Amino acid sequence: MKRSKLRTWLVAGLLAGAYLYSAGRLLLRPGHAVVDSHVEVIRFAHWQIEPGVREAFNAIAADYMALHPNVRVEQMDIPGRAWKQWLRTGLIGGTAPDLIEIASYENPDDMLARYFTPITAYLEEPNPYNAAEPDLHGLSWRQSYAAELVPNEFQHYFSLNLLEYYGAPSAVVTVRVFYNRQLVTAALGADRPPATFDDFIALCEALARRAEVTHQPVSPLAGSAYNLTQLTDGLFNAASQRDALAMDISRDLEMTRHEALINYVRGRWSLTTPDVRAGLQTVEAFGRYMAPGWSQLNREDAMLQFLQGRAAMLATGTWDAGGILRQADFPVGAFRMPAFRPGDPKYGRGMLGPVSEANTFATMSFGLTRTSHHPERAIDFLRFLTSRQSNAKFSRISTWLPVIKGVPVPAVSAAFRPVENGYVGGINIRFLGSRANEVLLQHLYLLSGQGASADAYIAGTRRLYDEINREELVRLARVNLGTLRQKDSVLAGIFQLERGIGLARGKFDRLAANQLTVEAERLQTLRTLADYPLRP
Amino acid sequence: MRFPPTSFPRLSGSWRRARCWLWQAGLLLSAAGTLRGAPAVEEGWRDLAGYLFHDAHEVFLRASTGSERGRVLGAAASLLNDSPVTAAKVAEVEAQLRGLLADRAADEPAICARYLLARIAHLHRPAEIAEIEAGYRAVIAMAPAHPLAQLAAGKLALVLLYQRPDLGVPARLAAAAELAPIAGAAQLPETGCAYYRALAGAALYYDVLDERVLAWLVRADVLETHDIVTATSLRLQLAEVARALGHREQALAYYRQFLATAVSTDNRYRTAAERMAELAKATP
Repeated sequence: MKRSKLRTWLVAGLLAGAYLYSAGRLLLRPGHAVVDSHVEVIRFAHWQIEPGVREAFNAIAADYMALHPNVRVEQMDIPGRAWKQWLRTGLIGGTAPDLIEIASYENPDDMLARYFTPITAYLEEPNPYNAAEPDLHGLSWRQSYAAELVPNEFQHYFSLNLLEYYGAPSAVVTVRVFYNRQLVTAALGADRPPATFDDFIALCEALARRAEVTHQPVSPLAGSAYNLTQLTDGLFNAASQRDALAMDISRDLEMTRHEALINYVRGRWSLTTPDVRAGLQTVEAFGRYMAPGWSQLNREDAMLQFLQGRAAMLATGTWDAGGILRQADFPVGAFRMPAFRPGDPKYGRGMLGPVSEANTFATMSFGLTRTSHHPERAIDFLRFLTSRQSNAKFSRISTWLPVIKGVPVPAVSAAFRPVENGYVGGINIRFLGSRANEVLLQHLYLLSGQGASADAYIAGTRRLYDEINREELVRLARVNLGTLRQKDSVLAGIFQLERGIGLARGKFDRLAANQLTVEAERLQTLRTLADYPLRP
Repeated sequence: MRFPPTSFPRLSGSWRRARCWLWQAGLLLSAAGTLRGAPAVEEGWRDLAGYLFHDAHEVFLRASTGSERGRVLGAAASLLNDSPVTAAKVAEVEAQLRGLLADRAADEPAICARYLLARIAHLHRPAEIAEIEAGYRAVIAMAPAHPLAQLAAGKLALVLLYQRPDLGVPARLAAAAELAPIAGAAQLPETGCAYYRALAGAALYYDVLDERVLAWLVRADVLETHDIVTATSLRLQLAEVARALGHREQALAYYRQFLATAVSTDNRYRTAAERMAELAKATP
């Protein structure tokens, strides 16, 4: 009996002690008070944990807090691997921060509609933090962006189904080849980035030769499937530009993914089409210079290889630039993967010229959550973040490209600037769907190493492409069916809301037009699948 | 310890009346509270417009203001996509919509109901092409000038262009083009533009490139879409189709128009500029 009482007192004492310890820690912790009714707390969350980005955000938040002493801005950097679960939990539990980075693949339309506030109306107002900029003074917040946030298929700031803006972006990213200037200088006798595809192959050869002579295990290219595809995308696109124009069904000078798949199923192109094969041969040409065992490595491994000086070049997005420039203990240069010459007898017969990067869309968009306790304050911070002055600071610290008109590109990021003066892209067999991407990654080994062979790749995957391209069309038709069905209900709602104020050009009219266009594409797909069955 | 039995005093007449009034006041208050808690139908339409199908359905079930036929229509339209969507739910929606047509009314809820029934036959459950076509034609016949008739005509055009099993390509294009007065009407200019582009798109898909295609694209252009991406693509289509048909001056004019209006993120600028220059150099 006595022992039991003692145990009870012991447990109660432990609990009380733990409580008092926690309360004490909370009260005595350094920093801001936990709750201060005079302070507005704005929290913003993102997954960009690349070096430089957090520092840039912190600097801008500090500027904002200096301007508004009654506001506290808190940055929440959540690693990409935990992002999805963290996001869902926060949104459903009503504990999400005020501003969240949005991307169309993470935030489907129903999530945007339920948990985020459209910011279209805000974007059409001027950004007060640009008031001192004479050239931006009369423009809306949206128009202060370099590309004025024109919606397209691939961006994240505008929902093509909800017809509303949900995000305000902060940066632009491109893909470049980063190189170790010491190693390149040692191999070529000069720090000379390649200007043509032939130069690039010659550089790979020179680097490989030097490694052999010096007995140093330095491979020309840092390897991983992720990094290799950063190179192949541009080459595939360049090799078949003329084919894409010739097969452009709608005659608007651009063969969309839908049109490429339709044309494939109709038998109008295949892997053996000379220019598509030429694209594969370009990979064959440099695949032999990849580090041994590269196909087993991932993006982080490749980065490590490069930073440790075990590889001379690394192809990656400029989102990695900050990390590379901060961590490399050697001078780093960057160049755009050069394409071959138009008319090049081996690769350039289907080429028009360099592929344009004009449609590189603005990214890292922050959306306003419906549960924000201070939505006007959060929008105000977002305006500050994307003002010319703050965007310049963000770009300078992070090395990411700016998005606001007139913001200078930092010298260190000059090579990342999108090349706008180019031509439309051709057929990229990786972009035809997620299965197409998988097939390429699974069979890239056939295009690398000493036995690299485009023909071996074609022989090993041709039948697979016949199947997966049809499957992708079926999948797209199924996805389109889902959104078309939803729009029937949504249009009923918008019709009732807008019929009193006029339907022409309103949301009803625009969404009905969008539905008709998507439905036409879906029925075209079904017609094609019915008329062109898979041959045994 | 035991409590003594409770004894209640007998109420006098005036007390009894006061208690009765209290009860009535309480009932009235609770009724008012219920009414205040009942959402307006507009809230349901707003939820529906924002893809919140379940929320909208809940609102329509509880709504007490607005017309009863409007409420029933809203409940059916929201249930149609209330997750999980099942065949039973779709059948229930159809029954509710048919209920709105039962008294042969030709009011707005009836037109909306008929349109949704046609859509259900087309997309939400398996149906024969003849039934789908009849559904859309019924909407058009019921109220040809109604905006939903324009939507129905556009959808019917797609059925004719891609789904009718008995038509050859020329007949498909001709039948779909006959719907132009309704499907291409200016009352919904963006929808009308999409219809003409769909006609041209189908012709090009079937490898038909003639004067009709150019005419359809011109009519789409006349409707002046405010969607900048659609507008610029349309100008390029016009330029390329006019060029293919040998209308050099017309093609050059459309190329120029494209170059003057293309947004800075348009990848096609240089390609279009060079094709224009090439055409300009060619002997007329």
